[in-house]
Amino acid sequence: MQLEFSGVSKAFPGVQALSDISFRAEGGRVLALLGENGAGKSTLLKIMSGDIRADEGSVTLDGQVQSFSSPNDAIKAGISVIYQERQLIPAMSVMENIFAGDLPRTAGVINRQKLKRDAQEVIDKFGLNISPSEPVGRLSVAYQQMVEIMKAYRRGSDVIAFDEPTASLAESEISILFKLIRELRAEGKVIIYVSHRMAEIFQITDDIVVLKDGRTVASFPTAETSEATLIKAMVGRDIGDTYAKLDRNTEYGDTLLEVQNLVTKKVKDVSFTLRRGEIIGFSGLVGAGRTEVVRAIFGADKILSGELILEGKPLKLKAPADAIAAGIALCPEDRKEQGLVLFRSIKENVSIPVLSRIRKLLFLDRKQEAALADNARSKYKISTPSTDKLVVELSGGNQQKVILGRWTSGKLDIKLLILDEPTKGIDVGTKAEIYQMVCDFAKQGIGVIFISSELTEVIGVSDTIYVMHEGKITGNVKRGEATEEGILALAMQS
Amino acid sequence: MKQKKLKSTISYVFKSKMLTLVMLLVVVVAVFTIISKGQFVDPKNLRNILQSITLVSLLTIGAGMLMIGGYVDLSLGGTGTMCGLIAAYALRAGAPWYLALIIGLVTGALAGTFNAVLINELKFQPFIATLSTASITQGLGYIVNNGQQIDIDNSVFNFIGTQRIADFVPYSIIISLVLLLIYGVMLKNTKFGRSMYLVGGNPQASLLSGLHPKRVSYILFINAGSLSALAGILLAARLKTANTTGIVNQQFSGMTAAVLGGISFGGGAGGMGGALIGILILNCFNNGMLIVRVTSYWQTVASGALLLIALAIDFLRVSRTKKAS
Repeated sequence: MQLEFSGVSKAFPGVQALSDISFRAEGGRVLALLGENGAGKSTLLKIMSGDIRADEGSVTLDGQVQSFSSPNDAIKAGISVIYQERQLIPAMSVMENIFAGDLPRTAGVINRQKLKRDAQEVIDKFGLNISPSEPVGRLSVAYQQMVEIMKAYRRGSDVIAFDEPTASLAESEISILFKLIRELRAEGKVIIYVSHRMAEIFQITDDIVVLKDGRTVASFPTAETSEATLIKAMVGRDIGDTYAKLDRNTEYGDTLLEVQNLVTKKVKDVSFTLRRGEIIGFSGLVGAGRTEVVRAIFGADKILSGELILEGKPLKLKAPADAIAAGIALCPEDRKEQGLVLFRSIKENVSIPVLSRIRKLLFLDRKQEAALADNARSKYKISTPSTDKLVVELSGGNQQKVILGRWTSGKLDIKLLILDEPTKGIDVGTKAEIYQMVCDFAKQGIGVIFISSELTEVIGVSDTIYVMHEGKITGNVKRGEATEEGILALAMQS
Repeated sequence: MKQKKLKSTISYVFKSKMLTLVMLLVVVVAVFTIISKGQFVDPKNLRNILQSITLVSLLTIGAGMLMIGGYVDLSLGGTGTMCGLIAAYALRAGAPWYLALIIGLVTGALAGTFNAVLINELKFQPFIATLSTASITQGLGYIVNNGQQIDIDNSVFNFIGTQRIADFVPYSIIISLVLLLIYGVMLKNTKFGRSMYLVGGNPQASLLSGLHPKRVSYILFINAGSLSALAGILLAARLKTANTTGIVNQQFSGMTAAVLGGISFGGGAGGMGGALIGILILNCFNNGMLIVRVTSYWQTVASGALLLIALAIDFLRVSRTKKAS
């Protein structure tokens, strides 16, 4: 089994997305596709999956040139691409999803018994503990992904590509995923693995191809390279140890926020205190209740009991607007769904919380609005020709900067900044920039709550790390004493 | 050089919604003028077009604002009709004109509130909630006077409904144009107008940025209910009678005009300038078919086709923006 790209090029209006991409992926090995955002990884995957066609060059599978005019053609040829957005039907059961498009039938009627048997066989093969008749919508994100992998396996795909498969998985779930990938590798499948996360690349892959600006700039066997070499190849410069280089805040002020016995639908009795200038990290598995804690502090979720005390005064919140008025800001977990109004301009996204403060009589003052956006653009180096550009056209990193700019336009007096997974899907270079911004906020005396599923990041950036499990805080560790293993043990309560 | 300039002008025209719309209007007017051998632009006919615009504009404002905010209301026709009947009933019962008007408008506002409660508090889908309200209001309209029409004999109502400036421009259209202007300015230049676009574009993000999507939704439904009531009352005033058909058939014209004018069903886009041109296109089109004697059955078919074209243009524009990202 062998998948080969030779001279693949693709242009979109205004951008040469891929130029002359050539590499070969062997069966029984896992090949990593590595590159910053915009390096061309997604475009390459889309060509593999038949979503788009290459302008030039060819894709050959076992010596046969492939030409796909639709995703169905790619699937028939034995290529499955597993995207971040799951392509499952939530209301249907695990077995129906695994066998979607190919349900076993007897005289035209679906043979449910055979379906169940066959599905169970696949599930057992991967040693998973799920019921074939469970609706997929009720499974965790991790297990939904497993279902998708089983679907690809069941179709008999020879090539399985993963697009950032661990983006929304917690560390313990990742190990299950890796087990599955190793199973597939042992069967001689060609596996393509796209990810930003260095640690994983070294854990699971055999070969690495680095893309930069739509070109293949380097390729090595994983065993013969190092993280530093890879980063250098990806960004074209040496980043060194990101966390050691951070210019941190060392002086904390008085207590800013006290959370006492907070209870919501998904949070059980959470208490902690945050000082001015301090960065508190929240770690835990996905669904442990971290997001729900900060949503309650921001007035977005109903508080059932417990108390919030900001600057010594009890805080009563009916809506996020009240939290903002009190000086709290939130950069939510899902930038596109919860953070931004995608089809409006940068300007309009920056000014949302201060609309009533940039008025001249009844009308909005557009000059002031433009000034706010320009300020955010220069402060955070948002790369865009104009702040009139729609937010949807920006890269992930720049979108995150627009949200930060919204809270720090100078019109609001932000005392507490909450960042929920601020670096999700953001490339290495921009990540480092964001870490430094977080430290800069702390230096200005802002208290920061930093939620992250990436252990190295949460340990590297926070002063104190709180770990959550099933809605409760199971422990807290200072930065100097934190280890990945220690935090993982608290997160899994094993 | 010259060619380059021409090229950029063409791409500008195509990108600009307003210009596309104006061109479409010009085409509609030109085609009908030619086919009707000038009858279409006869002053008498222009007078008819102006007359027909009044009611549709009110419905377009209400429906269009809702669509910008990401909602849809199928009960505007039923509500407006019911309110026309209620106002007429109040007049017949001896209420002065202003009281009858207020009673009608308040009833419209209440119907809007009812929709907003169903959607915001009881979490019904807007489509289902307003479909039910449509049926309820229409039924209540029948009940007002046992399904019979109510004649209106009130000098103020008759004046607003039937009189024209210089025997050409109906007074009622001034109400519509002034409202279009006020709403247009409000949408583009005030905090409330802006919040509608933001809430329509992404209610979650708006909430988490300090806006109040629920409040916006209440205001939008109440506003649409009141405007449809005004439309129902103006129709009754013009016909000098309120009947149970009322503006039921015009509510979809309101939505069609909004879509033609570039307000998309997805929410968060469009404006009143476009809506006005949408209204003109729709009414010129309908009137034009009448002038060139297309039978009314085919007129209905053609109106549907026009809406499809509008949706297709909207779809192409949106998918191009998406592709560019």
